[in-house]
Amino acid sequence: MECTILRDEMMEVLYGEATTGAARKVEEHCAVCAACRQEMGALRRLRQDLPAWRLPRSGRPRFRRPGAPSAWLLASAAALFLALGVGLGLSLAEARLTHLLDQREARLRDELTALRASVAAPTARDDAAVLARVQDLLRQSEARQAVRLNTSLADFSERTDAQRRYDLARVSAGLSYLDGKTGQNVARTTELMGYVLQASQKR
Amino acid sequence: MGPTDEELVEAFQGGHLAAFDLLVRRWDRKIQGAIYRIMGTEDESRDLCQETFLKAYRALGSFKGESRFSSWLYQIALNLCRDRMRRRKGRTMVSLDDLDADGTAFVSRGRRSALELVEAGDLSRVVEAAVAALPEEQREVVVLKEYQEMTFVEIAETLGVPLSTVKTRLYRGLGQLRQRLERQGIRGTAAVPAALP
Repeated sequence: MECTILRDEMMEVLYGEATTGAARKVEEHCAVCAACRQEMGALRRLRQDLPAWRLPRSGRPRFRRPGAPSAWLLASAAALFLALGVGLGLSLAEARLTHLLDQREARLRDELTALRASVAAPTARDDAAVLARVQDLLRQSEARQAVRLNTSLADFSERTDAQRRYDLARVSAGLSYLDGKTGQNVARTTELMGYVLQASQKR
Repeated sequence: MGPTDEELVEAFQGGHLAAFDLLVRRWDRKIQGAIYRIMGTEDESRDLCQETFLKAYRALGSFKGESRFSSWLYQIALNLCRDRMRRRKGRTMVSLDDLDADGTAFVSRGRRSALELVEAGDLSRVVEAAVAALPEEQREVVVLKEYQEMTFVEIAETLGVPLSTVKTRLYRGLGQLRQRLERQGIRGTAAVPAALP
């Protein structure tokens, strides 16, 4: 049995658009009307099924306003601008690179020139320095040799002198010994001569 | 928060044509979705969506703002759908009611019965077919209310009919959907008992 008393209000309640008064009326009516109560229950369940219908995953509709640049035109323009931008960017980059390279080359040239100048002039200076150094070393060496020679001579002289004094001492000792011996012999000879004289005198 | 539709319309009418692009971006998916749910094919929905915005672009200059821009836009889309449906008639129309009657509603689509589709979890196609089987006026209201989430007032404004007419069409449309789905064993998927006293 169909009950159509509050059909519009039931729709409002079903979609949450009912005023408080309308919602109360529907509630009170459903409390006493089994048909409407069932109907509301069935419609609520139906509304749980309806969202199951999903839209296919299609692309966005491609509407282009008349007069508006088309997608390909925009793409072409973008590509052109990109190309120009890239070209400009490359030109700027190239100019900057060239400038940097020029700067680097100039700096290297300066350094090279300075290096050449420093290499060419300092050759004589270096030779003189080396010569002076060598001379200085020679002088130092000669001085060291002289010192060493003097030291050796002094040492030799000292040792010679010591040897001489030692030899003199030995000669002196030998002479003394010989003197002693001679004295004894003389004494002995003298004694013998005395004896001999005494004996001869006795005869 | 961006400008409202009305502000964009005003800007467009003031000569800022690019404002229309924003309106398109804001509404194209919803309009295409509504058209798809009414017409049932992707190609037509894309085609009619573009036509809708083209018409809107041409007519927006004289738009008086007596209704919401969105209602006006849906109005254009629905009129285009009706025109297309009229042209369709007599060509390759297949009555889904007839297909439902013998229990092989989806044989021609996917060679599977509605019950098989439901069991396979393809409730989407079952609901789609059930909505497609509704009379045009009911289908429009169901789509606008259930899937476009418009208020009754907005729907009445869009369709140019009284509020009570909208509610009646919706009630009848939901009643038919309910019967159709229940015939296929679908009585609510959210753990609701199949039969209530």
